[in-house]
Amino acid sequence: MLPTNVKQMLNQQIQAAEHPRELAIDIMMAVQDHYGYLSDEALEEAAAIVGVDPLKLEELATFYTFLYREPVGRYVIHICDSVICWMNGYESLRDHLCKKLGIQMGETTPDGLFTLLPVCCIGYCDRSPAMLINKKAYGPLTPAKIDEILETLRAEAAETTPS
Amino acid sequence: MPKLIIDEREITVPEGTKVIDAAERMGIMIPRFCYHPALGAVGACRVCAVNCLDGPIKGIQMSCMIDAQDGMKVSTTDAEAVDFRKHVIEWLMLHHPHDCPVCDEGGHCLLQDLTVSGGHGVRRFQGPKRTHTDQHLGPLVRHEMNRCIQCYRCVRYYQEFTGYEDLGVMQIGSRVYYGRYRPGTLESPFSGNLIDICPTGVYTDKPSRYRGRRWDFERRPAVCLHCALGCHVTVSARYREVVRQEARFSESINGHFICDRGRYGFPYVNLPQRPRSARVDGTETGWEAALKTAGERLESVAWKTGPQGIAVVGSARCGLETQGMLKRVADAKGWQGPVLDIDPAAANVRTAVSRLDSDLQVSLREIETADCIVVVSADPLNEAPMLAPALRQARRNGARVTVIDPRPASLPFQFDHFPVAPDDLAAAMAILIRKCAEKEPLSELGKTAVRSIEAVSDGADIPDADGLAALYDDLHNSRRPVIVCGTHTAPPEIPGMAADLALLLRIAGPRAGLFYVMPGPNSFGAALLSDPAPSFGDLVSAIEKGEIKALVVAESDLFGSGIDWDRLRNAMNKLELLVTLDYIDSPTTRAAHILIPTLTSYETPSLLINNEGRVQQSPAAFRGGDPIARTGGGDHPPRAFRRDIPGREMGAAWTALLTLGGRDPGSAPVNLTAWLGEAHPALTSLPEASDFPPDGVRLPLAENAVERFQTDRFSHGEKEEDALTLLVVDRTFGTEELSSLSSILKELTPSPFIHIHPEDAAELGLSEGDAVGIDSEAGTTVLPINLTPEMARGVLVIPRRRDLDDRLPQERRTVLSKTAIRKATEDA
Amino acid sequence: MAETTDTAYPQVLFANRKLDRIAAIDDYRKNGGYEAIETVLKTFSPKDVQKLIQDSNLLGRGGAAFPAGMKLQTVADDAPFPRYIVCNADEMEPGTFKDRVLLHADPHLLIEGMLIDAYSARAEKGIVFIRPEYENAARILEREVAIAEKAGFLGKNILGSDFNFSIDVHRSGGRYICGEVTAQLNALEGKRPNPRKPPPYPTEFGLWGKPTVTQNVETLCCMPPILRNGAQWFKDLALTETGAGTKLYGISGRVKKPGCFELPMGVRLSEIIDEHAGGMAEGSEFKACLPGGASTRYLTREHYDIPMDFESLKAVGMRLGTAAIMVFDQSDCMVGVTHNLMEFFARESCGWCTPCREGIPYIKDILWRIENGLGEERFVPMLERECRHLWNAYCAFAPGAAAPLEGLLNDFQDEVLDHIREKKCPFKASV
Ligand SMILES: Cc1cc2nc3c(=O)[nH]c(=O)nc-3n(C[C@H](O)[C@H](O)[C@H](O)COP(=O)(O)O)c2cc1C
Ligand code: SF4
Ligand code: SF4
Ligand code: SF4
Ligand code: FES
Ligand code: FES
Repeated sequence: MLPTNVKQMLNQQIQAAEHPRELAIDIMMAVQDHYGYLSDEALEEAAAIVGVDPLKLEELATFYTFLYREPVGRYVIHICDSVICWMNGYESLRDHLCKKLGIQMGETTPDGLFTLLPVCCIGYCDRSPAMLINKKAYGPLTPAKIDEILETLRAEAAETTPS
Repeated sequence: MPKLIIDEREITVPEGTKVIDAAERMGIMIPRFCYHPALGAVGACRVCAVNCLDGPIKGIQMSCMIDAQDGMKVSTTDAEAVDFRKHVIEWLMLHHPHDCPVCDEGGHCLLQDLTVSGGHGVRRFQGPKRTHTDQHLGPLVRHEMNRCIQCYRCVRYYQEFTGYEDLGVMQIGSRVYYGRYRPGTLESPFSGNLIDICPTGVYTDKPSRYRGRRWDFERRPAVCLHCALGCHVTVSARYREVVRQEARFSESINGHFICDRGRYGFPYVNLPQRPRSARVDGTETGWEAALKTAGERLESVAWKTGPQGIAVVGSARCGLETQGMLKRVADAKGWQGPVLDIDPAAANVRTAVSRLDSDLQVSLREIETADCIVVVSADPLNEAPMLAPALRQARRNGARVTVIDPRPASLPFQFDHFPVAPDDLAAAMAILIRKCAEKEPLSELGKTAVRSIEAVSDGADIPDADGLAALYDDLHNSRRPVIVCGTHTAPPEIPGMAADLALLLRIAGPRAGLFYVMPGPNSFGAALLSDPAPSFGDLVSAIEKGEIKALVVAESDLFGSGIDWDRLRNAMNKLELLVTLDYIDSPTTRAAHILIPTLTSYETPSLLINNEGRVQQSPAAFRGGDPIARTGGGDHPPRAFRRDIPGREMGAAWTALLTLGGRDPGSAPVNLTAWLGEAHPALTSLPEASDFPPDGVRLPLAENAVERFQTDRFSHGEKEEDALTLLVVDRTFGTEELSSLSSILKELTPSPFIHIHPEDAAELGLSEGDAVGIDSEAGTTVLPINLTPEMARGVLVIPRRRDLDDRLPQERRTVLSKTAIRKATEDA
Repeated sequence: MAETTDTAYPQVLFANRKLDRIAAIDDYRKNGGYEAIETVLKTFSPKDVQKLIQDSNLLGRGGAAFPAGMKLQTVADDAPFPRYIVCNADEMEPGTFKDRVLLHADPHLLIEGMLIDAYSARAEKGIVFIRPEYENAARILEREVAIAEKAGFLGKNILGSDFNFSIDVHRSGGRYICGEVTAQLNALEGKRPNPRKPPPYPTEFGLWGKPTVTQNVETLCCMPPILRNGAQWFKDLALTETGAGTKLYGISGRVKKPGCFELPMGVRLSEIIDEHAGGMAEGSEFKACLPGGASTRYLTREHYDIPMDFESLKAVGMRLGTAAIMVFDQSDCMVGVTHNLMEFFARESCGWCTPCREGIPYIKDILWRIENGLGEERFVPMLERECRHLWNAYCAFAPGAAAPLEGLLNDFQDEVLDHIREKKCPFKASV
């Protein structure tokens, strides 16, 4: 269940909207931010807030790249595999990431920290090869830089996770 | 009217005609997958490509997406267009399974046809085929997503056309998926149309799986019997059973679709319990012999009591032939009756039929073009299912739809609802009539109208009376208003008031129409061919008094008449002779001394008059007789070979009646058409069976000025304090007589409960889900309650399930004292 | 004028671009920002604005090169209200990042551009449709919109006039097709973003059935300078007769200095690569480039000197697209490159129509086979047929996908055949 204050805020947004459905993506994103991904429960809650059948949101959620209908890690790494990054070494960087994290593309590390997914050109071709982690862009990447980024994120996670 | 050239031939078509349709008019069938006349063009599949050689648009174009225009020169055979269309097929076949022989669509599949006709036979794509998981969609529709060609017809039909939202399209690109959020039974009572509309085998008819191929079936046109609309269906029969039904196009009635009740209501024809051999006092005899005995016994009753000791009864599901014959025989013999409609709504139907002037008649399809619709005392989805999508199309075209009815109305689109209690419906209608009469200087007529409603108490507590008054303005300002009026639960004055309102509107300007909802497929015919008296209630009283000793009942179950079952049983016990002619097993056939089995409308042609006054012919779909499943006793193929059809001895009810009436059916040819003309003047010029038009004929209905603006029709007296009105109402599934025998629809029939307004519940100290006992004549009915805010106060609503009829009060509308309603647990 | 570039060319869109930070409202105003809208509100009628933009010959910068003024003029005088302005900041065309740079450089330029656009269409609501990868830019915009509102440039009765205008930022869920105008309208309405087929055109029946003008970020950003300096000035900025204005050229791939440069419309490709992008990367030799995103045909060595404007490219059967130049060298396998592009198009196809949904994965499969030594001679005519038929798709997506494939088959057929004959990718072998 969403915390009441979050729910209230979203309900207010919907009430203020002239056409509630135009907020479908925003609401789903917000609910996803809370749960980490759009579980069935999350999707159904979002549907209740928007005031539509869950199917209506499923029709959208399954269309878009950044709505995750399956569990993802705390950091979702989208590596760009489009043409510029591809010719600038996407494949070896991807292999490096897979090795470093011990997972394949599409998987999540057992500690629930990282998920690896491909993405189309993220508009950072001038800083290629590039990747996006939780909607923040990184590039140009080298194996060393990747290691550094992963370290920073691990440290950040350790700091913010109550033990 | 643009003039264009298609494949070197010239054609002129109405403005706005798509090129694909223009070509079809010339007999050129351009391939199509996504285009469907009811769903419009969306240009998704791209298989309808043509080449525009000259004119306002040039080059390869989708013929479904372009309107015919002057000067167009279109080629459907152009090499580039043909190559592209072939390529579309190749694309669609990349992932389509190559197993037509085991696919349930095989043999009637558009994709199969176009693939074969396009000559695509060699697979060049070397990649793997994409696969999907299928979903369970309930008892009617089977889902096989791998067969999908992404034409989007299903979603467009399901969401846009009928307004249900539990089937949609998910995913993106080459992984788009059509289905539900979660597997589960489809919510739409129109879901079966998915089967017809999907151009491949994604949605197929589940109940008829493994029963045969399209070409194994005898496929014939028929008219649906499961409500009064008379939608068109195509029947598939095999081995003397009905196996499957599909929607059949009708320009005036159902368009391209039907409801699931109509599609799956047929199993009564095949039931093992269906009476197939005649019985006299419980002993099987031949058909002729039973008729002979019946004739003799009737003679002897008549000899004892005089002919008035015998009465004949029919029903709204009898064809006109049978209804007409009942009348003819009764008249000839001096028997009482016929009572042709035993339904409690019969009197209302009679009013409706007398008030439906030719000027006011609208067809179901015409409703789609109305711009302001008021539905009074009717529940479209449950009483005449296909009326709901028709109203929705009107709404999609911008119409305002308003429902004035006590029940918790539910319709698959946005509408206004005035939840007015039954006792206040007249007052609500009076508001509209008064506004209309006041607004227009209608002279004498206006004054008469105002006078007619003087008797209506205006102290009624109508929720939002101002809203109703405002509704009048919309009616008045509309171009094509239609009043839809129910007969089933309506108080007796309502059908007449609806006609008065339509009439006034018409005089005031707009081209107003009137559409009555009636209970049975031939309620109209029954009202036309029989007199107001005696009613079925009169007959029962006469039986109780011993005045009637014998009853001939044709295709009618007396236990659906609304009369209390105990009373009815006692009355029937007093009869010396009960002759029942029917094709279903019912308490009435079980009680019969002499049982004459009859043919269904699938096995013998029948004429039916739908609610709009349209006579339609339902031809026989196959020759009746014992199904092979029965005669073969499980053998396959059946071993006992014979020339004649076993079990074919029985005939249509009307032929049996003819014999009972004393005529040897072999003796002289019967001219049914002429006889019907004699029975009622409106039926004089019916066409011969062989040239009955596809959409039937609309009866010429005389204006009946005498019955307008009656002042004495307001029956209700003082409103009782502390009383609640109990309505026993129809449901889409489970109420209508024949379809409630359908094993297929059982799963869709909800268990019964009572709707009650939350405030009424609070006053009675009841809460959601409580089991509540209601004391009535029928005894105590115990059902859980369902708090329903969107219904009238002071009303209890029980959706009727016919198979549980013996547990429910029989009357459709009863006034109960509040003390008759208690929490059932308190009893214990 | 420019603080950050070392060229002599006038910097119009990048006039306020800073190396280290985003231009604030004060930076913007210092350079004449928001003067245009003030003048417009005082002395221009909506029609005057339309005419000026029309006269300036400003062509849409989102890829389709539709005249911006003409688009505004298609909003009928008696068209219903409310009307909408949509700023297309979806920018998902591979290789394209100019809008990102512009949004980060000078957000108020866009806000003023939208104001002018809205005034001329008599719209009261603006929406910036932005891709989720640009979350940072979305936040910047929201912040700066609030600042502009405080300063009285947005909201009710702007600068004392009776003109009202507000701007919302709408974040996409992320799909290339959402950049297509009509699909974007569906996306904004919370529907599945399949394109809609005109007629009716969005300027008659757009968002929520109301007239809607959609323009690219860069197109909108051109408007304040045009209003300030006039149509002729704008036209004169271009180096070619047919061009107008400056253009943001994004360049990436095998060059020394990938980046986004504001240069006069019609500057030569050779100049962009050799001078602005610092020349080809070490050891790289120009083989080909995509001149304007993934949906354009390869430009080969033969056109190395071509003026980069809409007309000049059109003249040789190419498209300027988004002017996102992606440069390939002798080591890049064009089959591999094209296969990668098809991977993109296949993944992003919206799934509405057959040619795109089925055809592109088909092409991708064939190219994959060729690239991996499974090629057959018959594949070449098969690809040609695919290519031809992609043009009959529902929207411009599929013809866009066909463009690089056409290029491959026309200009690099030998390379394709080498793959097939050698039963392997010749480029991989040489590594
Ligand atoms: C598949 C596809 C994707 C597109 N993506 C974008 C985009 O991301 N940004 C953009 O400005 N225009 C995009 N366009 C072009 C738009 O449809 C439209 O032409 C443009 O936004 C109009 O603005 P303009 O006239 O200012 O260029 C795309 C077109 C297609 C067919
Ligand atoms: S399931 Fe059938 S109707 Fe629906 S899109 Fe697929 S092929 Fe068309
Ligand atoms: S609406 Fe009535 S007539 Fe039509 S198919 Fe359904 S039950 Fe039959
Ligand atoms: S070409 Fe067709 S499938 Fe592709 S994006 Fe456009 S509409 Fe969608
Ligand atoms: S190709 Fe990777 S960011 Fe553009
Ligand atoms: S029938 Fe015309 S595009 Fe499908």
